[in-house]
Amino acid sequence: MESMMKKIYFGLVVLALGLTLASCEKDDTDFSDIIAEYQVEPLEVELDFSALSEAPDVPVTDENDSAYNDYVENSPWNKVIYIDFNGASATVTNSVPGVAVQATGAHVVVTNMSGPVQFVLSGQTSNGSIKFYGDKRLQLLLNGVDITNPTGAAINNQGGKSLYVVLAEGTVNTLQDGATYTMVDDEDQKAALFSEGQIIFSGKGTLNAYAVGRAGIRSDDYIRIRPGVNIYVNSSALDGIRANDGIIIDGGVINVETTGNGAKGLRSEGPMTVNGGRVTAISHGDTRITTEDGIVDTTACAALACDTLLTVTKGTLRLRATGDGGKGLNAKQNVDFKGGSLVAVAEGTKKIKKPKGMKIDGNLDVSGGYFYSYSRRSDPLEVEGRLNVAAGYKTYQKKAKVLLIEY
Amino acid sequence: MARCKRKRLILLLLLFTALMPTGLQADDSGLILSAEASRKMRKGLNVSIEAEFRSRNDFRTAERVSLGASVSYKLLPWLKASGGYNLLFDNNREEITYNDDMSYNNWRPSYWGVRHRFNVSLTASYKVRRVEFSLRERWQYTYRPEKMIDNFDFDEGEWEDHKVRGKGKNVLRSRLQAEWDIPRCKFDPFASVEFHQSKYLDKTRFIVGVGHTIKKTHDFKLYYRYQLTGSHSSDPNIHMLGLGYTYKF
Repeated sequence: MESMMKKIYFGLVVLALGLTLASCEKDDTDFSDIIAEYQVEPLEVELDFSALSEAPDVPVTDENDSAYNDYVENSPWNKVIYIDFNGASATVTNSVPGVAVQATGAHVVVTNMSGPVQFVLSGQTSNGSIKFYGDKRLQLLLNGVDITNPTGAAINNQGGKSLYVVLAEGTVNTLQDGATYTMVDDEDQKAALFSEGQIIFSGKGTLNAYAVGRAGIRSDDYIRIRPGVNIYVNSSALDGIRANDGIIIDGGVINVETTGNGAKGLRSEGPMTVNGGRVTAISHGDTRITTEDGIVDTTACAALACDTLLTVTKGTLRLRATGDGGKGLNAKQNVDFKGGSLVAVAEGTKKIKKPKGMKIDGNLDVSGGYFYSYSRRSDPLEVEGRLNVAAGYKTYQKKAKVLLIEY
Repeated sequence: MARCKRKRLILLLLLFTALMPTGLQADDSGLILSAEASRKMRKGLNVSIEAEFRSRNDFRTAERVSLGASVSYKLLPWLKASGGYNLLFDNNREEITYNDDMSYNNWRPSYWGVRHRFNVSLTASYKVRRVEFSLRERWQYTYRPEKMIDNFDFDEGEWEDHKVRGKGKNVLRSRLQAEWDIPRCKFDPFASVEFHQSKYLDKTRFIVGVGHTIKKTHDFKLYYRYQLTGSHSSDPNIHMLGLGYTYKF
């Protein structure tokens, strides 16, 4: 009996020691792969002013082409007026029948009833502006001009026809609005550079637009940007570049940064097409909260917001939002990405709104190029509609924070 | 002698029962190993020290190592009072929280932490023939000191320092036990049920086992314990195989 008991106890002790020694394993869930996914750092998106090698900008010569009138080369510019800003005054040189130019200090008002007229702007003023009336095409050749208007827009075109803004080669041009705008009845002024009609940028110079009161550049029609230009917009108030009827980017180096809450780097209320160039837009603002009639409304920032179709065929879009709920790209309708490069990064918090690399309310079609979306604190891509990725891609990577499609 | 053979069979069945259920249900299983030294200071007064080890996760993961000291005094032939202190080193289970859309929110991995436990008990006994019934009421206070641990925030995508706040917890443990004294048998079977009541019913423990004493000095206990976890805890129910040794001197 004693011998049997000893054997039993010995067996139990051995079993117990065996089980004790075996209990050195962890019982945690293995998150190592998932954590590695979550700790991925995004691609860097910083303002980039470096020169861009672009294909020659060949103007459309077919009059039936809808873009024909967007080419400044297709209009006669034999009527020229020079306006040189010099501190508190402006000197007007040359006159054109049918064109009235009135300067009050450095605030210039032009009424153009003549036809296509080229205005060559130069000089500097910290309290000046230029405003245009008349539904005629205008060309503004910015030849090293620096205008700050403490009480409104630096350039304000009240005409509904094309405003060609040509940046003279090698020049640096600066426009800045004021923190508060002095309004005129029945007139809009919504940006440091504002036009009721379409704005077409061309040339090989630089334009810097600073907005402290409203937007940087805004058209109540559409905006086209052609290769060769170098545009920088810095807005601490509203949107950087905004157009009611669409934005077309054929080329150029465009850098936009906004810091206002709810502000968009670029906002197109109409269709937006990117055919070239390099756009870098960074939105630093947080979600804007407004209350009207007791109803609280929240508006998140976006580096690029498009209310209708966004089409990208070529070029580079680099978008980054750093504020709460900020989106790299916020598209209200479809996005058709055919080529080029689109990098969207959202690094903000999600206290009020969810930050997303891309938020697309319609369908997303990806059929070429390099497509990248990153959200530090949310899903990298939200598509309300259908996501269609065409066959033939080289890389398709969907991780916790990153989506990458590369052809 | 035939009864003793049956007891040995019961002993083996207990072991078998403790090991088997792990593959059949989601309940966990583990081991309790304890060693105790007890000294009778004078009539009715005992002091003891003990060490305990527990495992979980089907015996694969250490759960607790504890050291303790206690004193007991027999107030009346049927009434015993006792008090004690335990220093617990716990391997706290991981904790995962989810967002509304069921995506991961936070992951706090398992971590080792210290707790201090104090208890006082009153045990009343009543013998009916060969069966001794006892009711033990134990008040237990456990204090967990503050500790900084790692926490992975999936929303932020990064590890963060997470402060586990210090807190104390009071628990009333009520145990009803029956112990058989079988003539001419060296094994004393016992069974008990115990309720742990704090704000809610935290745990219910069912125990069956046998004790064996050699020369009144070496006490062995082998038991099976099933612990039902209250609905307010995310810990699983657990089957445990217990082996205890007490040296009396």
